[in-house]
Amino acid sequence: MTNTPDKDEDRVLAGEYAIGLLTPDEAAAFAARLAVEPDLRRLVRQWTEDFACLAEDIEPETPPAWVQAGVDSRLFSGPARGPLGVFRRVVVPLMTAASLVVALFLVSDPGAPGVVSDPGAPGVQPPAPPVYQADLEAEDSSLVFSAGYDATTRQMYVERRQGTARPGRVLELWLIADDNPPVSLGVLPDNARVRLPVPEALRDRLEGGVLALSDEPPGGSPTGAPTGAVLAVGPLMDV
Amino acid sequence: MLDDDEIERLIAATALDDRAAFNALYTATSAKLFGVVLRVLNNRNAAEETLQDVYIKIWHNAGRYQVNGLSPMTWLITIARNTAIDARRRKTREADGDLHEMLADSAPGPENRMSEGSGHARLSACFAELEPDRAGAVRRAYLDGKSYAELAAQYGVPLNTMRSWLRRSLLNLWECLGR
Repeated sequence: MTNTPDKDEDRVLAGEYAIGLLTPDEAAAFAARLAVEPDLRRLVRQWTEDFACLAEDIEPETPPAWVQAGVDSRLFSGPARGPLGVFRRVVVPLMTAASLVVALFLVSDPGAPGVVSDPGAPGVQPPAPPVYQADLEAEDSSLVFSAGYDATTRQMYVERRQGTARPGRVLELWLIADDNPPVSLGVLPDNARVRLPVPEALRDRLEGGVLALSDEPPGGSPTGAPTGAVLAVGPLMDV
Repeated sequence: MLDDDEIERLIAATALDDRAAFNALYTATSAKLFGVVLRVLNNRNAAEETLQDVYIKIWHNAGRYQVNGLSPMTWLITIARNTAIDARRRKTREADGDLHEMLADSAPGPENRMSEGSGHARLSACFAELEPDRAGAVRRAYLDGKSYAELAAQYGVPLNTMRSWLRRSLLNLWECLGR
């Protein structure tokens, strides 16, 4: 292992990221690198394991019984299926999630292509599970996109919340799964809401994957890999 | 406390919506996670509310456990800690610092795991090599979820000084841990 200043810098940054010491901007920039640099993810994972050892010094303390009852009632009472059930499964984890991603909810109506609506709106049918959802936001919030995979139509819905490609350039959407190179899901047209077909080979790789938007020449990357800057990233969350 | 394999099995079953496994996971781990959350929030009522959020997250994200490549207790402790820090920072509306879902890091492979006991001993030895103030600041950053600004105020040093302390300490720890 070498000890060049760059390597040391990455080790320190990964430690700061794992503890949560970076500013939101720094954290977002680091997260963008994490999406495409497996070595960096390994550093964060090692730090996370190391620091978790510190928690061994914390004395366990039995919580009052009503806490578990509260968990059960929040999770399991009320309709297990239907819009409310899905609403809970998506919105609760997002509301409590850390703030790198913008909490946003996306429900599609499989019978009406392109329709994107707010949760809880009458008549909106949630997509059949499994569904994955991701929020992509640029470091400076100049680009904000949301994506949701509908297993029924096997399409990725992408909603533009803010920002467009630079003049003479396009935005291309990528799926990054594990240590594999990014795979293109297509160039985003200028529409506010689009659906991109997800090839069969990629469907099993959505779970645990990361979506990324890159800056590309018209027509998309000529090489099959991102050629421009990675502008925004977001992990696909299991809904 | 159950061993790692057993906790892993319970997480895997929870991912399949097995409520009995989820209850068993709660029974096995809630005292530890409550301790972690209490340490960050330092307030019983808030900690009790937050612990509910923690287990709700665990229920929803159990299916993502494998892809994170973390050992099971690390994964659970990280969720508890991050949720508690999130709750605290949301409450105090503090702008400095941010926190990240480890859930967001789809890191592969369970390599580099260490058994808890040996990892703790190694880490303690390395903390002992740091200057006491700096070791204390790193511990507070992790266990209490303190930001650079809070730590700087606590130790009465400028923010940039605190930042250099911490960054230098992280590098020292990394070297000491023998990587």
